[in-house]
Amino acid sequence: MSDAAIFSLAGAEPAPRRRLRPTAGRLLLGLGLVMLTILVLITLLAPLVAPFDPSATSPQSLEGSSSQHWLGTDAIGRDVLSRIIVGGRTTLFITFTAVSLALLAGLVLGLLSGYVGGWVDEVIMRILDVIFAFPVFLLAIAVVAALGPTVPNLILTIAIVYTPAMSRVVRGPVLSVKKWDHVEAARSIGMSEWRIVTRHVLPMVVSPIVVATSLTLAQTIFTVTALSFLGLGPPPPDPNWGGMLADARQFMELAPLTVVGPAAAIVFATLTFIVLANGLREVLDVGSER
Amino acid sequence: MKRVILVRSMWMAAILLGVSFVSFMLMRALPGDFVLAAAGAQMLQPEVLEAMRRDLGLNQPLIEQYLSWLGAVLKGDFGTSFVTHQPVLHELWPRFLVTLELALIAAFIALVMGVSTGLVSARLRGAADWIVRLYNGFILAVPNFVVGTLIVLLVGLYFPELAVLSYTPFLEDPLGNIAGMILPAFALALAISVTISENTRAAVLEVSNQDFVMVARAKGLLPRTILWNYLMRNALTPIITVTGLQVATLLGGSIVIETIFAIPGMGQYLFDSITSRDYPVIQAIVLVAAACVVFINTLADIAYATADARVEA
Amino acid sequence: MTASDPILSVRDLTARIVSRKQIVDAVKGVSFDIARGEAVGFVGESGCGKSVTARAIMRLAPEGTRVELGGSVHFDGQELLPMSEAAMRDVRGRRIAMVFQDPMTSLNPVITVGAQIDDILRRHTGLSGRAARARTVELLDQVGIPAPAQRADDYPHQFSGGMRQRVLIAIAISCDPDLLIADEPTTALDVTVQAQILRLLLRLREERGMSLMLITHDFGVVAGMVERVNVMYGGRIVEAASVDDIFRAPTHDYTRALLAAVPRLDRHGVAP
Repeated sequence: MSDAAIFSLAGAEPAPRRRLRPTAGRLLLGLGLVMLTILVLITLLAPLVAPFDPSATSPQSLEGSSSQHWLGTDAIGRDVLSRIIVGGRTTLFITFTAVSLALLAGLVLGLLSGYVGGWVDEVIMRILDVIFAFPVFLLAIAVVAALGPTVPNLILTIAIVYTPAMSRVVRGPVLSVKKWDHVEAARSIGMSEWRIVTRHVLPMVVSPIVVATSLTLAQTIFTVTALSFLGLGPPPPDPNWGGMLADARQFMELAPLTVVGPAAAIVFATLTFIVLANGLREVLDVGSER
Repeated sequence: MKRVILVRSMWMAAILLGVSFVSFMLMRALPGDFVLAAAGAQMLQPEVLEAMRRDLGLNQPLIEQYLSWLGAVLKGDFGTSFVTHQPVLHELWPRFLVTLELALIAAFIALVMGVSTGLVSARLRGAADWIVRLYNGFILAVPNFVVGTLIVLLVGLYFPELAVLSYTPFLEDPLGNIAGMILPAFALALAISVTISENTRAAVLEVSNQDFVMVARAKGLLPRTILWNYLMRNALTPIITVTGLQVATLLGGSIVIETIFAIPGMGQYLFDSITSRDYPVIQAIVLVAAACVVFINTLADIAYATADARVEA
Repeated sequence: MTASDPILSVRDLTARIVSRKQIVDAVKGVSFDIARGEAVGFVGESGCGKSVTARAIMRLAPEGTRVELGGSVHFDGQELLPMSEAAMRDVRGRRIAMVFQDPMTSLNPVITVGAQIDDILRRHTGLSGRAARARTVELLDQVGIPAPAQRADDYPHQFSGGMRQRVLIAIAISCDPDLLIADEPTTALDVTVQAQILRLLLRLREERGMSLMLITHDFGVVAGMVERVNVMYGGRIVEAASVDDIFRAPTHDYTRALLAAVPRLDRHGVAP
């Protein structure tokens, strides 16, 4: 009975329909999805795709490009291409896990803060303000330095660092959505708060969150690789892009490919999520002309 | 107006208090014993460790430790380095100035690049707009340490005789110092210039659609007068604010850039201190950097509120 | 066409607005004359093409859109449409000036009103420094701004809507234009202020002998202000007559409908 009432009420004022624009937005989104597929496939199939064992050394060190080693070898004769392919695993694993955690925390805190409001909102937002005051990268370095550079610690650190931004992204739309008529209406006929949140509030904040998550993924790849670059990444011998780049600097004039390879991998991965975010932003019409 | 400044300043003080607490707790939450870290690699007798613990005030309740630490910090006493046994402030100050110089040069470069590309994008539109936006999207995907490394690589490969990559103290050779800062500052500025460019574009586009621009055109004013007195004067506030908000990114980025280019600033000091587990130094740098960010964000806030009052009132 | 010596002569003017989303034929062949010193009203509902006609004469397209113009606009011996943009800039503000609808958004919020009169004077009259300043104060005084010497240094947000429209009128008349185009100059204002602004326009027109093109959706506004009226509908002029004739014996159905929308003419009309 009450279900039917809600249905017609929600139907009375339909959400603005998303018009699929046949323009640049969809082109970008398509490109982003193709890049993401390539990235994910290579990462998942890394052991099959990589031509060599990434940790196997050989006497042919710092070689240039050859038919055998497409991107040459590093200082102790390891195949650069294989190390890039396998190195993506660690980097992307940390990235995806950390961003998922930040997203989850952001959803919980943002919904709680925006929907409940009052002192709950005040307390949550003020605490997040304090974390927000630290430069992201500086805070990440300090936390990793304090906890020690292991994979779980890196994930935890990055999740902490990006939670405030995620919470803000969720809170904003929630604040405006909860004033909407159909939410008011749902409440007035006694719908439970949980169902209001899951059926009416959550769907409205999906678009901005999807875009923000994509951008955060790009930033996280940057943060993870930068930490590894400074030697605060996942411990050796597992290869990772930032670490490879840092190691290669010593001999980079002799073997430029050892620098260019991981650099290109980092740029490709970051670009994937930036393209994806921009495509999504256009297609989902978030924040319009920016 | 005065009220705005007062409220924001009080707000700033509150955030700073929170920031100081986090900085303090960060180093107290270390796994293992703070004293063992302080003692460094030396093996010490338990009695000595106990004495050190007492000297450092570690036996007191946490909140008392925090308050006495905060009191000392407010007097400029950031403690003593575990490594050099010098007062932290004494070592930090010159390095802070170096980072400040790097950040200022980078902010200047970013502002020039960002505002010019953003203007081109917003005024010319069409193909120029697309080129700038694609360029921006791509540059955003290139992290500053990659830019820095590639710069070092390219200079090493093609201009090995160039001395621009070595740091010279300012007082020794001011021009050489600035010349040495330009490439690192550029690496640092690139990502920020994208944000400034996008915001300039958005701000100028928004102002372009305002009625007063149409009025200015109906007055027969020259395009350059309209550009500067009508478009830029109005777009400037958001642009400056955004630039101010990028300080956090600048400070974070300077850690990697200083390491790559061997610039003895705060970032490199932090990196060294992490390697040597010099916790009072790490704590001081984290606190100082966050305080800078909070301070500058507050300034940007006040600037924005002031300009807004003039526009909206 | 009563005028023997028209200052403005428009023939078969068309305007096609091309934006990213659509193409609109806003003006579909409009012809009219405005004599020296004459005031002509353009009346029609919003979207009828009257504002686009005005902007077409000034060759002002909104940002981000392209307007393709056709026909001819003959102004004081010159053909405006083929003119270079630089030459057109010399016409705008000096020979033909314009007052817009919304005074709240038509002034640059970050520079003083004095500076906004100063810049057009510098551009067209060669006045600068103290002379420009004196002229600015004089203009503000002429449009009825009290304490003009002090007010010149105030920012737009320190003025009320009616006062801002006076400033905009001061800007428009600053270089003694031959033709003043007023595009819904009173629509955004309170009724009492509307009457004051209309009286001001009427007085300035009589003092200076300039021609006036008064655009409005409200027949009440044109009464007592103009000699002739062109009624526009769907991008065309559907009726052109003297103001007396149109009130007494409107011929076109649309004109009748518009007149019916004005409840009491005598109350809305402005006594000079």
